[in-house]
Amino acid sequence: MNEISILMHLLSRKKNSSQIGATKKEILDVLNVKTKNKSIYFQNLITGLSDYLEPLGLQVKFNALNTHWFINYENEVIELVSNNPFEGKPSLAATLLCVLTSCLKNSGTSSIQEIRKLRSKKDITDDIKTLEKEGYLVIDKTTNQVQLTPLIGYKLDLHKLLVKLSLKLKE
Amino acid sequence: MEKIDFSEEINKKIEVIKEEVLSGKINLLDFELNPIFSDIKDSLSIFNIENYSESYKNACDLLSRKFEELRNLLSSLDIEKKFLDFLKENPKDEEITEIFNGCWNRTFELDAISLSFLEYASNRFCKEKLMDLKIEHLNKEKSDFQFLLEIPRLKFTDKLNAFFNKIKTKLPCYFEDVFENKLDQIKIYEQFVYLLHLLQLGKIKYQKDTNTLYV
Repeated sequence: MNEISILMHLLSRKKNSSQIGATKKEILDVLNVKTKNKSIYFQNLITGLSDYLEPLGLQVKFNALNTHWFINYENEVIELVSNNPFEGKPSLAATLLCVLTSCLKNSGTSSIQEIRKLRSKKDITDDIKTLEKEGYLVIDKTTNQVQLTPLIGYKLDLHKLLVKLSLKLKE
Repeated sequence: MEKIDFSEEINKKIEVIKEEVLSGKINLLDFELNPIFSDIKDSLSIFNIENYSESYKNACDLLSRKFEELRNLLSSLDIEKKFLDFLKENPKDEEITEIFNGCWNRTFELDAISLSFLEYASNRFCKEKLMDLKIEHLNKEKSDFQFLLEIPRLKFTDKLNAFFNKIKTKLPCYFEDVFENKLDQIKIYEQFVYLLHLLQLGKIKYQKDTNTLYV
């Protein structure tokens, strides 16, 4: 058993419905790294794994929402298969974008009322419930507040989305 | 023209910068890369151009990382404003779906294999496979026919095992050492046959380049 096998296991395991992979601390703890330059060692480890995975059509990615490192299929591979989780459900995608916007605006949480306002739709209860069921968000029943789970950080390339949005706004 | 070559120093300097960036000591966005490129430019000559190409490549890598950080910083500014501006235009659901297209990731998950299972599989795979080979003696069948080759009175396997037990303590040793002090050619031949059988069964191994027999 070498570092690659351990990293592959740690970065590809699903902890729960919205958490995949491992944090830097978890990785260093499992590998029992206690050296002075832990960060450099870690960076080299991730770079090494990334080089190793590249020919296999995989890449190492970081989810900033929960500071987890994980393994993702490369774009060329993703393009080969239909990967849209909201295929045929445009309403869900639209509601998710509104949740995302509202949560970004309010430092992570948002009220259902505010999402409804952004969505310009009378009833978004079904959409919110479905998104909760699929692990994208959690609803605090007492405060009626919605919070995004880290799942969106795995499923969506936010940087790409921003680029597309910027281009769209320029049109 | 003076034959100067600072490529090694420049490479070391770049390496130190990289390590400091990785350890979080410095931020590339706050770091001036101009002096490195100036050093390369000012001391470049036809004598050091080969070594300097590597230094130039390393410096460009650093510059490219700086650009990447700048790009990330710029894109993280006013995120919510971009989202809000888009939603203010009251886009249709289909338009929003279109925006998401090409932005979905696909994670690689291996839930079924636990670390303990991988360790178990690895140990099992690496473990030496010892097989107990059983040598069975042929049974003599009753027959009226006469054969040129007769099954020996003593079981061949017994002889083989007796020979193996006898030489086992000597191993590892040179091939010739097995026949040490043997003068009778027939006896040497007989033991040579046993040895061939033991080699074939894998009970003894032979290394040709060192002419050694070992278990």
